[in-house]
Amino acid sequence: MKKIGQPKKFIIKGKRLDGRKPDEMREVKIKAGVLERPDGSAYLEWGGNKVLAACYGPREVHPRHLSMSHKALLRCTYNMAPFSVNDRKRPGPDRRSTEISKVTRQALEPVVLTNLFPKTAIDVFIEILQANAGTRCTGITAASVAIADAGIPMKDLIPACAAGKVGGEIVLDMFDVEDNYGEADLPISIMPKTGDVSLLQMDGNFTEEEFKKALNLAINGCKEIHKVQVNALKEKYGGN
Amino acid sequence: MMSENIGRKFVLPGEFISEESINLGEGVYKEEKKIYASVMGLLDLKRNFVRVIPITGKYVPHVNDYVIGIVNDTLFTGWEVNINAAYNGILNGRDYINTFDISQEKLVKALPPGSVILSSVREISPTKKIYMSMADRGARVLKGGRLLTINPTKIPRLIGKKSSMLSMIKREVKCTIIVGQNGRIWLDGKSELVSIAVKAIEIIEKNTQMPGLTDYIKKIIIEQREKL
Repeated sequence: MKKIGQPKKFIIKGKRLDGRKPDEMREVKIKAGVLERPDGSAYLEWGGNKVLAACYGPREVHPRHLSMSHKALLRCTYNMAPFSVNDRKRPGPDRRSTEISKVTRQALEPVVLTNLFPKTAIDVFIEILQANAGTRCTGITAASVAIADAGIPMKDLIPACAAGKVGGEIVLDMFDVEDNYGEADLPISIMPKTGDVSLLQMDGNFTEEEFKKALNLAINGCKEIHKVQVNALKEKYGGN
Repeated sequence: MMSENIGRKFVLPGEFISEESINLGEGVYKEEKKIYASVMGLLDLKRNFVRVIPITGKYVPHVNDYVIGIVNDTLFTGWEVNINAAYNGILNGRDYINTFDISQEKLVKALPPGSVILSSVREISPTKKIYMSMADRGARVLKGGRLLTINPTKIPRLIGKKSSMLSMIKREVKCTIIVGQNGRIWLDGKSELVSIAVKAIEIIEKNTQMPGLTDYIKKIIIEQREKL
């Protein structure tokens, strides 16, 4: 992957730099149950993003003092591989991955029925193998499939998708150049059944109207992703 | 089991099931008078009862289940037993050794850590403590043999209708096979034959939905046996 400098124009003749329309998403592929050791897993390819998610649990909590007597402890770990970005990423947790681990946990917590397994832990690990903008959405989407694959009771699957603003126009699912040089970014995750939003972050500036437009666009994106998640699980377990 | 599966609807977490007020079993939840699935599995919808049979996931203990446990550690008056579930089982010292005073030495001597035991679930407390029992028929320490772990949701297929699959395997390989509800299987017998049985079980785990599986497995076992 080559590093590209800032382009002069982001949208030429109604098409973006990678040939997509403003409201078009990159291709998403999900495969459930790819790993043997964890209880549940998923592999996801979203444009240039490649992500592996694994889920263990419910299992005993270590260290013991973290266990809660009324519900299970949900722990999420987001980690980028050193080779996932152009310049080598220094391995280990940092400010950014700690934050993304936290928002991932908060995005997933409302759907996982943790009250059924008091005094246990559910561990979710997200490994970014290749990054191409929007890895937190990719991670949440993969993690949700991994939890379902582990057979852990949950209210709904959680799809995530981002919308943003580049060259003054609202676009869906930005790729790396748009993300680096764009004006704003709005990653969200929703519960498709109720339409509740479980993650909403914003980077940059939107006007009120732009924000509404971006939010609606991202919600539609999430609904698309939800279909892909459902198909991935059906494919693995032979549903009709 | 298999013929029951055919025609059952496959559901995913969050999928709408029904709006009627009926009794809820496992794998479903109610929100605003509507019933939804909470796990991935096959829908079992009856006139006044609904549940989802999970097709993946950890073992969920029920009272009177026979499980194969591995002793983890000794407690003050008993043992902590790993039963492949979210919680460890507790086996009281009095349930297995018959002495007035229970000391750590006696506990370790009777069931050292790593011992494999066939026991049953006696009680599950509201605080999710799982009490085991060695008093039921057949409960014992399993010495030697080979231990195998498969997904607990595949156990009903391994046993088959009226134990058809399991008894066929036992008959064909002439091994002792003990199947725990928690996904652990203990096999003992001639090592070549045990290996054949292990292979057969692995094939069953991967192809639970295959029609005519029992005959297919029988064919494989006979083929393998002739190679010996």
